[in-house]
Amino acid sequence: MRQTEGDGLRQTRHTPAGPPQFTRRAAILAATVSLLTASVSLGNVQAADLVIAVPNWPSGQATANILKVAIGKTFGLEAGLREMGELNAFAALETGELDIHPEVWRPNLDAAIEKYVAEKKAVVLAKRAVPAWQGLCATEDAEKAGIKSVKDLSDPQKGALLDTDGDGRGELWIGAATWTSASIERIRALSYGYSRNLALVETEEDVGMAAVDAAVATSRPMVFACYAPHNVFELHKVTRLKEPAYDSAKWKIAPGSDPLWIEHSKADTAWPPSEFHIAWSASFGQKHADVAAFLEKVDLTPEEVTAMTYALQVERQPPADYAEKWVAENAARIEGWAKP
Amino acid sequence: MSRTLQKAALATLVLTLAAYVALAAGTQIYDPKTRKWVDYDKNTARKYFARNKQVPDAFRRQVVTFRTAEEPGTIIIDGNQHFLYLVQPGGQAIRYGIGVGREGFGWAGIVRVGRTAEWPTWTPPAEMVARDPNAAKWAAGQPGGPDNPLGARALYLYAGDADTIYRIHGTPESWTIGLDVSSGCIRMNNDDIIDLHSRIKIGAKVIVLMQGAALYKGV
Repeated sequence: MRQTEGDGLRQTRHTPAGPPQFTRRAAILAATVSLLTASVSLGNVQAADLVIAVPNWPSGQATANILKVAIGKTFGLEAGLREMGELNAFAALETGELDIHPEVWRPNLDAAIEKYVAEKKAVVLAKRAVPAWQGLCATEDAEKAGIKSVKDLSDPQKGALLDTDGDGRGELWIGAATWTSASIERIRALSYGYSRNLALVETEEDVGMAAVDAAVATSRPMVFACYAPHNVFELHKVTRLKEPAYDSAKWKIAPGSDPLWIEHSKADTAWPPSEFHIAWSASFGQKHADVAAFLEKVDLTPEEVTAMTYALQVERQPPADYAEKWVAENAARIEGWAKP
Repeated sequence: MSRTLQKAALATLVLTLAAYVALAAGTQIYDPKTRKWVDYDKNTARKYFARNKQVPDAFRRQVVTFRTAEEPGTIIIDGNQHFLYLVQPGGQAIRYGIGVGREGFGWAGIVRVGRTAEWPTWTPPAEMVARDPNAAKWAAGQPGGPDNPLGARALYLYAGDADTIYRIHGTPESWTIGLDVSSGCIRMNNDDIIDLHSRIKIGAKVIVLMQGAALYKGV
């Protein structure tokens, strides 16, 4: 997932044809919630030795908490946590306002990585990465109804099975409005052509996932954007929609700075192999070379990340408590990360 | 929903005697006597309620299997299916039937229960006062009571500390549960809103699903 603030994507984003009130009310709600979040976050980072970003998806939240506890125990540094969007996070890593980001997704953030890591050398990306996957998933009832591949999404009859608002046309949740993966899913929908058949919906992940819960509970078919590792695979029987393998020649994502990014983009294949890395500010790495070396060695597996998100999201374990427990159970391993 | 899926749903739900499914064209319920799916519109709903003194089985309060990552105590509103879920421990939820304003909520998102009221006063909006003489007589506010459109309880939905103007409330017109009715936010029959009110805490998370009777239709 990566976010789109300030990169021009949101201005050109094609939103569902909703009433004006939707946009205005949603904006008011979002602004209010953001203000609330900001005030909470500011309180959290005061007097901290370093600041770790907390993204708005579960695995990033879990890792942020684990790094906070592990760094505290290993180096005696107090880390503050701060909710922050991806592109803002890269800018903050450059200015030193932020020190660590727990989960930078590729290829989603390749443009920002090129800018801040390769060109400006203001941000360092750990060489080690957790392998990941992005695409579209179907509930068991959608699969039973014959929706097994992206090709099926262009079939009007199958698309109508996904209708949730009574207009005879299906809906497809493509992610949170702030995620760049949602923008890429929009490009994919346009490129494959199923955007003509389905309304693309962007809402917070909790709304998208609760919709999956409700669809499963009432045996209604649903297709949605999904990514792994993620607890939804533990919670429900969902399958990944089949699609043509990734082909770099068919995957052109224009940079967000391009005002005609959507017209200049095309992606009618599966996502490229995805992965995510820990990143930190270059200035922080110089000041705390020992912590940077530690971050370089963090070797979480996809299975561990799934287990973390399940513990936090499904079992509702408080993130700080879970992190304390995880760090205690993995003490020897964490000690190994700290060895030169 | 296609015929194939209707048949599949029918096979699943036949044992429940009366079942419900939201079709693309609108709400339908399964009539166990005729063994047919029938449109569940205002007329049908009125007749059903007059005959049975209650709404169809699917819209009655019941505990259902509901696997979710949401915390117990969270409310999930599925306006399209006309269900409100109150998440319970152990992969279950209490499911209530709801009536949805014709205009729906008009948005999807996450809010919280900011405050609640018992037998709330109803103050009709100015445009309703202008067009409806019945509403006009309550322009200064109708006291709470059995005829009050807000019913026995109201849950006021907030974003942060701000009132969103949306409410989950009771209704004296129980037969409207399961329908997209002419006005109002999310309505439940009075027994159900009293039950829900007794179970929730102030601050409870409320998720309004992207589905909604009119999420993409003009208000």
